[in-house]
Amino acid sequence: MKNGFSVFMAAFIALGLSWCGFVLGPVEQLGTAKQTSVLNSSDTYPVQRSGDATLGLQVYRASGCAACHTEQVRQDGVVCEVVLINTGKNAAVVSNLVSTLKLDGLTKDEADAVSDKITTAGGKAEIRIVPVGTDIARGWGVRRSVAADFLYDYPVQAGSLRAGPDLANVGARLPDLNWQLVHLYAPAAVVKNSAMPPFRFLFELRKLGDAPLPDALQFPKEFLPPAGFEVVPTPEAKQLAAYLLSLRADAPLYEAPFTPVTTKP
Amino acid sequence: MNDEAKSNCPARTDGEPTATRAAVPMVIFVVMLLLLFLGAVYFDHHSGWFDAKVYSPYVSAEQLELYQPKSGAAAAAAQGRKVYETVCGICHGVDGMGKPNQAPPLAGSEWVNGAGFHRLAQIPLLGLNGSFQVEGRDWNLNMAPMGAALSDADLAAVITYIRTSWGNKAGAVSADDVKAVRAVVGGHPAISAAQLNSIPE
Repeated sequence: MKNGFSVFMAAFIALGLSWCGFVLGPVEQLGTAKQTSVLNSSDTYPVQRSGDATLGLQVYRASGCAACHTEQVRQDGVVCEVVLINTGKNAAVVSNLVSTLKLDGLTKDEADAVSDKITTAGGKAEIRIVPVGTDIARGWGVRRSVAADFLYDYPVQAGSLRAGPDLANVGARLPDLNWQLVHLYAPAAVVKNSAMPPFRFLFELRKLGDAPLPDALQFPKEFLPPAGFEVVPTPEAKQLAAYLLSLRADAPLYEAPFTPVTTKP
Repeated sequence: MNDEAKSNCPARTDGEPTATRAAVPMVIFVVMLLLLFLGAVYFDHHSGWFDAKVYSPYVSAEQLELYQPKSGAAAAAAQGRKVYETVCGICHGVDGMGKPNQAPPLAGSEWVNGAGFHRLAQIPLLGLNGSFQVEGRDWNLNMAPMGAALSDADLAAVITYIRTSWGNKAGAVSADDVKAVRAVVGGHPAISAAQLNSIPE
């Protein structure tokens, strides 16, 4: 072959450059990422998972949940809305002014202008930062997913296909442990027309003793187990449920800011 | 026969064939420049200049900074945190836990969590001298006055911050409250714990 050395060098440089871009660059940027602080609070984020939830990540992985569920909320944009906090002394003037102004769906500059107008009239307004997007409209999350959300996930279960809903914020959306366990045992019992396969191998159907075990699942009426039996979660089921409940991407961060609804006056 | 076979073959030349020089069509340069331009526009809108903190829909660190929620209570909290970490946190610790022989903890301190703010506000305003107790432990230190360095709004923000952080659950303090305290005690030399305890909370 003619020019063998040149061909080798060209291939080496092409692969080396893409390795730098796809591997070295991200490691350099995020490889040493640490906990960050929640916006306007002294709390840190994310919080290390409990032992059960950390083991639950491996059950999640082993059960192939990531084949049908993602853990990444997308955000298409960000808007501002102006909320009147108090009207001040000239209540009539300020409320008249507010009724003529567009208060939501604004850019930051427009929101600042509106807020200034209200302040000039004697009222007091607050600008709220509101992430928007189809995932957020579905209620899957309050903001987009960022690298900090995955700090304690190993391996990261981001997923790429959504046969089921996104789970990035499932612990905040569905915080009931029994709901999660019943859903794993019999998805149709809690979600009508659910396409999810049941994960019954994570549970035990046991003969009822003198009294139901405290761990036994509480089913809705139509889905009760056969008389004289009860469904008890195995440790794996409890770990998986603990992991699902630990999925809470609902803290405002510097890189994904929003105004939490709880501070609404 | 021999001549016929020869005429079907291409003429033999010496060595391998080589291309002659030819100009690259201008249109290729135009297309390349156009693609480069579109790439640059895309880069400008989507790269965030490879900043680890900038995610879409934000296009730059400046825009991200602009969209930080900073009005009302949130703005005061952010300001209080900033002042605390640059001024107070050096001795009291950014976690509010204090440092041995430097400064007492603020988290859970009865001085911080008092029902009123009149005693607490005077400590950063005037400084504190001599021995005092925090959560049953004795301290004997001199705290420098910060009243000249910090505005009423900054003092109010930082007092509110220490009263609402690290599990502290006391009430907020406004800039007007601090202004009123400053109007009464401003210019007083560093105060002692006994003097503080003699005034109402």
